[in-house]
Amino acid sequence: MADEHTIESIMIADCGTVSTKVLFLERVEDSYRFVAQAEAPTTLHAPWNDISTGVVYAIEEIERITGRTLLSGGFLISPQNGMQGVDAFVVTLSAPEPLHLLVGGLVREMSLESARRAAAGTYTQIDTVLSREGNLHSPEEQWARLVRDQAPDVVLLVGGVDGGAARPVMELADAIALGLSMLEQERRPVLLYAGNSTLRPALVKLIGDITRLEVVDNVRPSAEEEHLGPTTAALERLYMETRVNQTPGLDTLAAWSRLPLLPTATAFGNTVEYLWHATNQADRGALGIDLGAAHVTVAAVFEGRLTLSVHAQGAAYGPLAWAEAQGLDPLLRWMPEEIEPAEVWAWLYDRQLRPWTIPHESREFLLEQAALREMLRYALAQARPGWDPGKAQYQADVMPYLDPILISGGALARQPRPGQILLTVLDGLEPVGISTILLDLNRAAAALGAVATVKPLAAAAALEDGTLIPLGTVISPLGKGWSGEQILKMRITYDDNTTLDVEARYGELEIWPLLPGQRATLELRPSRRFDVGLGGPGRGGKVQALGGLVGLVVDGRGRPLELPEKADPRRKRLRRWLWDVGG
Amino acid sequence: MDAPYYTIVNPLTLVRLPRRLPHTGELLVNIGDTVEATQAVAQCVEPPAFCIINVSQELGVPPKKAAEHLKVKIGSEVKEGQILAARGLLGGRTCYAPMHGIITGFGRGRLLLEAPPHTTTLNALIPGTVVELFPDSGVLIEAVGAFIQGIWGNEQESYGVLRGMVKNPRQPLRAKNLDPAVQGTIIVGGIQLDEETLNQAKAMQVRGILVGSIPPALLSKVRALEFPVIATEGIGEIPMCDAIFQLLRSLDGREIAVNGHMHSRWGPERPYALVPMPAANASPVAPEQPLKPGSRVRALRAPYRGLSGEVVAIQPGLTMLETGARLPGVQVDFNGETAFIPYANLERLL
Repeated sequence: MADEHTIESIMIADCGTVSTKVLFLERVEDSYRFVAQAEAPTTLHAPWNDISTGVVYAIEEIERITGRTLLSGGFLISPQNGMQGVDAFVVTLSAPEPLHLLVGGLVREMSLESARRAAAGTYTQIDTVLSREGNLHSPEEQWARLVRDQAPDVVLLVGGVDGGAARPVMELADAIALGLSMLEQERRPVLLYAGNSTLRPALVKLIGDITRLEVVDNVRPSAEEEHLGPTTAALERLYMETRVNQTPGLDTLAAWSRLPLLPTATAFGNTVEYLWHATNQADRGALGIDLGAAHVTVAAVFEGRLTLSVHAQGAAYGPLAWAEAQGLDPLLRWMPEEIEPAEVWAWLYDRQLRPWTIPHESREFLLEQAALREMLRYALAQARPGWDPGKAQYQADVMPYLDPILISGGALARQPRPGQILLTVLDGLEPVGISTILLDLNRAAAALGAVATVKPLAAAAALEDGTLIPLGTVISPLGKGWSGEQILKMRITYDDNTTLDVEARYGELEIWPLLPGQRATLELRPSRRFDVGLGGPGRGGKVQALGGLVGLVVDGRGRPLELPEKADPRRKRLRRWLWDVGG
Repeated sequence: MDAPYYTIVNPLTLVRLPRRLPHTGELLVNIGDTVEATQAVAQCVEPPAFCIINVSQELGVPPKKAAEHLKVKIGSEVKEGQILAARGLLGGRTCYAPMHGIITGFGRGRLLLEAPPHTTTLNALIPGTVVELFPDSGVLIEAVGAFIQGIWGNEQESYGVLRGMVKNPRQPLRAKNLDPAVQGTIIVGGIQLDEETLNQAKAMQVRGILVGSIPPALLSKVRALEFPVIATEGIGEIPMCDAIFQLLRSLDGREIAVNGHMHSRWGPERPYALVPMPAANASPVAPEQPLKPGSRVRALRAPYRGLSGEVVAIQPGLTMLETGARLPGVQVDFNGETAFIPYANLERLL
């Protein structure tokens, strides 16, 4: 591998559940420039059963686009030699199935909740929870049966503060040990213990050579304290070990890259962390949402601390399971036209059976947008309890102040019009105050996060060089008013000193021109009951705004966003908002 | 690669299909063996039912003292209702076996009783030749015949005689058409079926159903059936694609293997149907062939969902859809009507 200062080109492959994206970056003087991007199906499963095949398809496409020779005999040429090959190759993955967990613990709101949050830090799926709750008859037998029949990848045992409850934890451990001993040796899952630390010697003695036991710090060392990091790190290691490293064809990709493979979520988190540091606003957080086909990754950074959560409710595979649990009403409320439930169910199944397809008709496109809104809302509802927003949290029942907000994921990025993406994001996230919305159009954010672990200058240069496209600056005044009430006066002073005086009204989405690459100074004067994040209700001030594909947006619809109960006025309003953003 | 996804709908091809055990087990065939559809190729022992009997609690003695009252030993076979432990005589307490089984463990005052193990056998399902062994887990069988891939299946499998029940792919399967003559057959419907038809099929003991689509409301009922149901197009109300319907129609009366599995320990699978043929010169499909005018394709999204046709031209550049999206794709002739279909919503029929 060449040193960083001599790296002329970087190729990045991100293997998602449905599609594989490959990016090609090239050094131009002191910066790295995005040259080309290509996409191919992820070929992890039948009929290909080799993840490297999809990467080769995408690299061949980049060869066609750039006219370069990158492959020779099906292998990547490295290092670069003139117009042939690349100097560095980086791989991120979210394609492998998540780690299946069985979680045992004592109290749902305490240790089990901490275990859930720790597990959400990487690609896991909690299939079963064992606990004392529910007044089980002969719980040991039921627990042991669940362990044996589920045969998860990992059993995560938590419970008891340090020095606290011993007997109930050991009863659980005893039943788990019995269930494990009834499984074939090669199918026995790892037992990860993150409970009462004083019980570790007893656990080691009990498990003996039944299975591999890993012990980490207690997720809940005391009632008030939560310590998730070691459990999340252990689960991520196990995910890499039992899922990623067993991926068919990964050895080919690993042979092309001397850089470590990273889970996509971890890499995406690195980028969001970078964005927070780049803007460096102590009273604002940075948020990144990567809405993939199978997973939603929510990366939130407050006061420099990253909280990462991964939810198995992605854009393609998530909506069906979600609708089965929630019913169709939350989805249908976003539809600007009437639709039969049977049609919606058929669409939900089809979306899952053929996740790579794209809506051809407007009706299906509107359904997809509705589902994306709800997937965003669901992911946030899951992630937010784990945040520690500090000064960024102005009011408990709304979002903390977030700037920037990074949006990634194929289902969002491939929407035809920027306004449609923005509206989906505003409805799904309901930001407050002033936020710059960045779109990861080329789906490079995770890949650059992976590059940053080893080549930080290259990643930073690529991020600053326009890899992330601003959709615009959004001002979302916090407060309640009546329809049509004036809530904000604003003077926009453009770079050429021309000015525009505008007003925003309650219930409306207003858009003013501010082109990509353009900056403007905004002089904001909210009415006395509305807060734009400049010190409280009625407090205004001057701020810099970044232009984007949509422009400068004032979302005057209030927070939390309320839709009319009755179908006709609601549909009318949804159509109006879609029209307002050019959708 | 443009339109990388495909579905095999082929009158004569060579396929290699895995047969896997649900648990580690024993293989009963070797490489090179010729196997029949109903021949067992592997077997495994299912995890037995078990129960934990809390002797200490039932006898009212401390766990450490429970062993003194046991009437059985580890490894002994017990019958349902047999005394496992007892304390005292008249007015004492007794602990009985809740089921027939073997005592496999004792600790902390509790007995572990496991039911006798039972063995599951795995049939070949498709007549062919064993070409690969998966150690302790299954075999790969090579077969020749007409092969059709479905999109949804109910995790069941079967073998029987194929019988068409409708005249065209837009015709639904009706209960009134299912008489005792369909017993033991695998029947073909057109667009979809209803609950009454399912009940009738069950009553008439059909061995399987191939249909265009399944209404969402019927899915739980279909999943609970003990015979396979495969949808070739998806969920909803979509007629069976013409290419599949015509092929199945041409095979009426032949024996057919139907596998409705979509999930396994080794990842997602595609449901399929295979009509074995004695031909020796068949070759596998060639998925690497590029899409070109004349290629057989099927559209995957409304308004053309489920229609099969022929590519008439590769559309240069990008074409705008009703949604505003601009995508690359092809012009497809669907029996006289030509329409633009983006690559993303197209699959090749091989």
